[in-house]
Amino acid sequence: MEFLQKLKGSSQSPPAVGPAEILWSWIGSFIGIGAVSFAHYKMFGHNDLMMLIGSFGASAVLIYGAIRSPLAQPRNLVGGHVLSAIVGVTAYQLLGQQPWIAASVAVSTAIALMHFSKTLHPPGGATALIAVIGSDEVHNLGYLYVIVPVALGAVIMLIIALIINNIPKNRRYPEFWL
Amino acid sequence: MSENKQLPVIAADISEGDIIKAMKAIPGYIDITPGDFREIYHVAHTLAVQRMLDSVTASGLMTSPVLSIEQTTQLAEAARMLASNQITGAPVVDSEKKVVGVISEKNFLIEMGLGASPSFMQIATHCLHDKSCLVARLHGRTVRDIMTQPAITGDKQMTIGEISAIFTRQKINRIPIVDRDGTVVGIVTRTDLTHGFHIFSQGL
Repeated sequence: MEFLQKLKGSSQSPPAVGPAEILWSWIGSFIGIGAVSFAHYKMFGHNDLMMLIGSFGASAVLIYGAIRSPLAQPRNLVGGHVLSAIVGVTAYQLLGQQPWIAASVAVSTAIALMHFSKTLHPPGGATALIAVIGSDEVHNLGYLYVIVPVALGAVIMLIIALIINNIPKNRRYPEFWL
Repeated sequence: MSENKQLPVIAADISEGDIIKAMKAIPGYIDITPGDFREIYHVAHTLAVQRMLDSVTASGLMTSPVLSIEQTTQLAEAARMLASNQITGAPVVDSEKKVVGVISEKNFLIEMGLGASPSFMQIATHCLHDKSCLVARLHGRTVRDIMTQPAITGDKQMTIGEISAIFTRQKINRIPIVDRDGTVVGIVTRTDLTHGFHIFSQGL
């Protein structure tokens, strides 16, 4: 059975990374998420703005932990989040009465658009989903959600990645810009 | 020598073990499976080899300038020309220097009734039994009478792969290289081809 044969897998897991890679992944993500969450809790805490959304945790995995990945490059990070945020807000505003439809349309359309625009960034799917299933605070932002927190947060995390990922001799970032 | 023998060709293969070793040598997490890399490698390698094969063409392989022989030349004179130039064959041209055929030792041997590739001892035996050494048959005849024709020619853009395919398929040992109006500019022999493959294999 070809189908069962496919289920068995055809290759193997890539090798584990060394301790230096693990350490620099930790340092990068600590500072990257630290910067965004500092803004969220210490600077924006007094008004309705927010900076920290769950999908940034996923972005941190890529841009600090898998920095060679095409999915982790600046075009994908910023483009994927911004496009997905637009799709998510639009889906909520047009289809919010039926949350399950709005949620599924938001994520699937975000993936399709990211593919189409060569900006595939897995956390973008979460960014689109959060626009639908997020708190009232998120919903009240409307399309501002695209700029703050999404675009601004992504850019802050990108700047940290550009600095931290280029400190060690054996690391470099990005692989490409556009 | 059998022309259609099948050599077992060993593909330039890399194992997933090789790929994993290479991935370990490169610091950082590379998010591709060894299997996917291998697929990409195979396609890319085939393209690279093809590009190399295409880059070795007749213009680089050929011996030039080349001795060419007029088709009206007497066979004895043609034999002397080949001997004094220490070559075993040459393109045959008409009065306008256009290639009309190829003459080689093989044509002489066949004409002398010795078959296409006799051993030296066969020739010696023939000569011992016949004082004229069979050369008498060649007297008063011209290159045009015994040359291989029509000539199989190539142009300067012909690749090493195409030339070796023609040699094997047509069972020939040399191919005159002509320019656009059919004038001979060089010749590629099996020796040139061997040399070309040697250079090629150093690039692999």
